[in-house]
Amino acid sequence: MPPIRVRFKLLRLLTTLLASMAVVVASAQEYDPNGSLTFATNADPTLNPWNASAVIESNLINTILFDQLVRYDPTDLRPAPGLAESWETAADGLSWTFHLRQDATWSDGEKFTADDVVFTFNEAILVKELGANRASTFTPVDRVVKVDDYTVVFELNRPFSSLPYYLAYYSGMLPEHVLKGAENPLMVASFNKGQPVVTGPYRVGEFVSGAYVKLVPNENYWGPKPKLASITFNIIPDGNAQVAQLLAGGLDMVSITNPALLAGVSRNPDLEVVRQSQNIWYFVALNLDDERFQDARVRQALLSAIDRQAMIEAVLEGYGVEATGPIAPLLQAFYETDVAHWPYDPEGAKALLAEAGWTPGADGILQKDGQRLSIDMPTGQFGYLVPATLLVQGYWEDIGVEVKVETIEWNAFIQKAVVNRDYDAMLAWWSTPPTPDQSGYFASSAAVTGNNIPNYRNPELDALWEQGRAATTLDEQIAVYRQVQEIIAQELPYLFLWYPDMISVRNTRIGGMQDINSAANFQYSFDWYVKP
Amino acid sequence: MTSYILRRLVLGAVVLWLVSVVTFFLIHLAPGGPSSAVSFERTAEEREALLKQFGLDEPVVVRYGKWLLSAVQGDLGVSYNQGLPVALLLKQRLPNTLTLGLAALVTATVLGILLGTVAAVNRNGWLDHVVSTITTLGMSIPGFWLGIVAIILFAVELRWLPASGIVSSGKAGDLVDRLKHLAMPAGVLAFTLMPNVVRVTRSALLEVSRADFVRTARGKGLAPGTVLFKHAFKNALVPVLAVLGLVTTALFSGSVVIESVFGWPGLGRLAIEAANGRDYPVILGATLLAGLVVVVVNLLVDLLYAAVDPRIRHE
Repeated sequence: MPPIRVRFKLLRLLTTLLASMAVVVASAQEYDPNGSLTFATNADPTLNPWNASAVIESNLINTILFDQLVRYDPTDLRPAPGLAESWETAADGLSWTFHLRQDATWSDGEKFTADDVVFTFNEAILVKELGANRASTFTPVDRVVKVDDYTVVFELNRPFSSLPYYLAYYSGMLPEHVLKGAENPLMVASFNKGQPVVTGPYRVGEFVSGAYVKLVPNENYWGPKPKLASITFNIIPDGNAQVAQLLAGGLDMVSITNPALLAGVSRNPDLEVVRQSQNIWYFVALNLDDERFQDARVRQALLSAIDRQAMIEAVLEGYGVEATGPIAPLLQAFYETDVAHWPYDPEGAKALLAEAGWTPGADGILQKDGQRLSIDMPTGQFGYLVPATLLVQGYWEDIGVEVKVETIEWNAFIQKAVVNRDYDAMLAWWSTPPTPDQSGYFASSAAVTGNNIPNYRNPELDALWEQGRAATTLDEQIAVYRQVQEIIAQELPYLFLWYPDMISVRNTRIGGMQDINSAANFQYSFDWYVKP
Repeated sequence: MTSYILRRLVLGAVVLWLVSVVTFFLIHLAPGGPSSAVSFERTAEEREALLKQFGLDEPVVVRYGKWLLSAVQGDLGVSYNQGLPVALLLKQRLPNTLTLGLAALVTATVLGILLGTVAAVNRNGWLDHVVSTITTLGMSIPGFWLGIVAIILFAVELRWLPASGIVSSGKAGDLVDRLKHLAMPAGVLAFTLMPNVVRVTRSALLEVSRADFVRTARGKGLAPGTVLFKHAFKNALVPVLAVLGLVTTALFSGSVVIESVFGWPGLGRLAIEAANGRDYPVILGATLLAGLVVVVVNLLVDLLYAAVDPRIRHE
């Protein structure tokens, strides 16, 4: 059947031709060179990643503006080259050497060198009096030493194997030539609220207080040429108004903190919902200075009494996964599912409490040695903390625990629960870098004064955290953190609730985004484009 | 007259000083602290460093003394959470609030007097009932709810107006764009303020229309329109002026809510954000500025009384 063969060949030739033409067309119109994107942020940002006021409203903007030594690999969130091309730790684990790119420049044309790294650490982050953001995470770092213009050494007082992860977590570099000489390099208003000198793909074009911040391409950027004409962040304090603006077509992307707001989104065919996993875990902390909670069985019982799956459905509309510990599924290499789970079991909870000596008293409330199991549970007006707290209250009352919920304003709640540790139980969350090293939230040294909110103290776990920081190979680390997760799931320093999904809604005209998580996405903003 | 104004100005200064004392000690009594220091992640060491930078490690009385000393020299301090001088923040935000407030005030006054007159002229007629329904709605619907409904209607469904903000990026000089942004917040604010003007106008006109001089004017055979505008209206103006003074101060409290709903970068939103973030210098600055406006407006209204009603004399 020769004719068919010929035709087949012809067809193949034709398709190849067509395909190659399509490639040519596609590369000619890969993106709209005049494309601009508009996002929202909820307050005036502070354009200095280390200023204590630079939090949620500033983090992502600062990620675009200020390049970091290390970025997240967008496939698995492992550390990947940023302003540093490579790094290695010493055999004793007591120092890290970073080799910097030699072609990076600041937006004003100055070269980026080791002096900038030394300045950012030695004269800003490590100066205790300045109270820099996340300064406490860098306590293992004594100082940073310049070896040559493009090599720096982080000198440590104890091993810190997770340093590269922390350097990829909102850790932008500051320009020495601009901020040196300032009384407080973190509080230079013309920089923080105006036109900072940056290393990122975009720089500030215009900052209108209370209205918007407009970013334009940085002509001196060392990496790939940015594909957008501008990125504007409109300042919209209210989440509902942000969604309204998105639906009206005035915004290209909004992150949704309250899943109930997703209802109207499906009506707009130009919008797509993106679910991302983050290293965020919600928890109930029990104040472990209170001897009633020092018995692990009490904590296990209180967790078993909570129907977490039902809460995820009710509060998160299903956008979340039950949590087993501080290491989220996002960290595929480290996340361990084979640990104690404490599924919803109110009868089992009562039995566990009875075993621990808590039996129903005359008023139906559990008691032990004349002490009633009555829990003060303050909560703050933020996100869905109040409804979630009220649900926990209901579950605990079902097993005979008295729960007194007090709803207070957010700032006052932090003062009470975090600063003064004045609570029996409280519901909140931690958002952490994607590293299994979460010692700051558990170590005895972080109790009372640090991020160990429940004031949990366990020397065995303390030793394991240190071992994890000293472990240099991945296999060693996996082994250590498996043990950590087993102990934590059994001991329950926190009652782990869920890992919420981050939900963002964006216009389908946007291309080039990294969907793994928003921090990584914003580190690769030079890839973003508007489809033609 | 001059001595009256002077006396009122001195009194005004005393009022402002009292406002500063009450505000200063009240905000320091409230639990919490500057949000950059009192945040979830902050460790005790970081927090202490920040509070020290803000001077919050000193006793509250010393802090007030220092604040007062620099305030009388015109220095209102630096915002804890924004790192900018308070005076600069107020200067940036005041014009926005004035624009919004003036637009709402003019709309509320013009519409309010118009509707009040219509209601008075058609007393107990169907038009009076329509007006009274509108004013009841305006008085009872909270501004924030009305704002959200307006956003859903005009921004999301009809797409006529932007949902939030004061101007689109890159259009700073575009008047049409600014007016589009202004329409919804000013409209909603005006709608909530208007009922007071309507009601006072209506009752003042009705009261005046029963007065002897109006009856005389009618008796002389003047046209009803002439009686209304030349005789009744002018005399009904004093209570209307009084309520306008009250409305102007209500504008400030009303704009706090409206500015937050519509993302309007005015004093109200600045004050709310400062209160949530315990930005003490900004709270003080914004409160004092609002106090100053109230003092000045009240004085102007009192002076206007005399201009409208020759029987009123300020000695």
